[in-house]
Amino acid sequence: MIGRIWAIALNTFREAARIRVLYGILVLVIGSNLLAIFLGQLAISDADRVARDVGLAGISLFGSLTAIFLGVFLLYTEVQRRTIHAIVSKPISRWEFVVGKYAGMVVVLSVLVGVFAVAMIAMLTVQGAGVSAGVAKAVVLAWLEVITVAAIAIFFSSFSTPFLSGIFALAMWVIGRLTPDLEAATRAAAPWIRVTTRVALEIVPDVHLFAVSGRTIDGAAVSVHGDFVPWSYVALAAAHGVGWTIGLLALAALLFHRRDFV
Amino acid sequence: MADLAIDVRDLKKTYRTPFALKKVEALRGVTFGVERGHIFGFVGPNGAGKTTTIRILMGLVRPTAGSATLLGHPLASRDARRKIGFLPESPYFYDYLTVGELCDLAGRLFGIDAAARKRRADELIEKVGLGGARGQSLKKFSKGMLQRAGLAQALMNDPELVVLDEPMSGLDPIGRKEVRDLILELRDRGKTVFFSTHILSDVEAITDRVAIVARGQLQAHGTPAELVSHALQGVDVIVKLAPGAGAEADAALTTGATRVRRVGDELSLTLAADSDVDAWIARAHAAGARVMQIAPRHETLEDLFVRRVAGADRAAAAVEAADASGAPAP
Repeated sequence: MIGRIWAIALNTFREAARIRVLYGILVLVIGSNLLAIFLGQLAISDADRVARDVGLAGISLFGSLTAIFLGVFLLYTEVQRRTIHAIVSKPISRWEFVVGKYAGMVVVLSVLVGVFAVAMIAMLTVQGAGVSAGVAKAVVLAWLEVITVAAIAIFFSSFSTPFLSGIFALAMWVIGRLTPDLEAATRAAAPWIRVTTRVALEIVPDVHLFAVSGRTIDGAAVSVHGDFVPWSYVALAAAHGVGWTIGLLALAALLFHRRDFV
Repeated sequence: MADLAIDVRDLKKTYRTPFALKKVEALRGVTFGVERGHIFGFVGPNGAGKTTTIRILMGLVRPTAGSATLLGHPLASRDARRKIGFLPESPYFYDYLTVGELCDLAGRLFGIDAAARKRRADELIEKVGLGGARGQSLKKFSKGMLQRAGLAQALMNDPELVVLDEPMSGLDPIGRKEVRDLILELRDRGKTVFFSTHILSDVEAITDRVAIVARGQLQAHGTPAELVSHALQGVDVIVKLAPGAGAEADAALTTGATRVRRVGDELSLTLAADSDVDAWIARAHAAGARVMQIAPRHETLEDLFVRRVAGADRAAAAVEAADASGAPAP
């Protein structure tokens, strides 16, 4: 089973490595880090503060957008181009195929997040600032966010077109990110609006758990520039992401299992 | 009952558009069996249901009704797929891979260890004649080369049953002969080969049994010898006309012929099966013509194919007409 999943993952990595857009995104992120140095010189606040903010935002934003892009295309094109015919006719279960595609995406996205993080650390080093434990935790949280978003995209891709899957996945990511704000905004609203919002938010992964810098958690202000969350929080957030990922992949596999490949 | 590699019973498939607004009956109850160690040709015009049948057998499409077993295992069984090699129709592979990487991927999915994968891939790449194209990505392959690459990946697991959807498609005459030889070699090694094709000469040349499918239904099933009629269909004649022979000579010789073709002074024609051939030869000699060849004409697989497919088309047209008029179907 592991061998088959790894075979699909390896092939997915090869496939994704050929997508030129990814290299464009890499250039964009490294460019934004360089821009952070320039902005840091202009800013009243610390230059390394700007480098951290821009670097982490780049990982989260570009990483998640890349996850959506890969997630909605990689599974869909297998069916569309019929490359899947020569694969699922071999002794591999469809769920193994879906998990293999996801695992391949996780490898690609991990490499991408790694490169983004190295670029950010290089910028921080240039500024003369070190890498704190807070930055390391923030990078791990951003990586968890990216791979959770990939699971959302692959779920939609198992039954929908890339365009619709992209819209659905993007909407889920944005809503998940804005959950605390949406809850706050509807706190004073009519009960039915509060209940409806609550129900809607329950069916969306809490991706805001992965972007905590600047928020207040358990009454304490959390910042990557100062006091950040403990590793136990990172572990809990990881459990949330993994739970959603397993659920979404199970649903994707179920939907994929029922499909005819014509 | 014979030991069957493929046992298909009353297989039906109806494709529905979203919200079931329209349905297309691709298979309307197909039943046939393929004995182990045989080469089985699955023949039919475009849209007959050949590829749908193969896709159901390979677990790509779920049947609407009916059942099938492969090597004694139910459809979609992983145990069956371990022993099957499959070449899809117009094979689409990952175009960034080389043929070696494609075979390696197939080998990994079959759970073959690395050393055996490498050995088997090298052997098969040579066998299908792609030894000189090892370094090229599939993107640069011609259709025929892709077909060969598809054959190589299909044979990675040394399968008991080989299912080939249009394996001769896109191949030149030499390539077709090589594939035919490969199929015969597989049969000689005790493998079962099930393949679909449009090319009837290939079917006649190598198959043990044939099934003709049209409009989603089996029209005929048996050995090529069993299927074709052995009754005399006509007599093929070629004569060389006398120099300067005119329209009168032509008319005397072609009266009653079912097919006439004249190239220069050579006349080739088919006489009806009940013609008096001796009398015709006498007329030819009287007209100064020289008889070059006389051969009895029997039904070919192509004749049978055309007859059965035309019959299926007529039956379907009658049903459609009856549906349109509201009258009971004939």
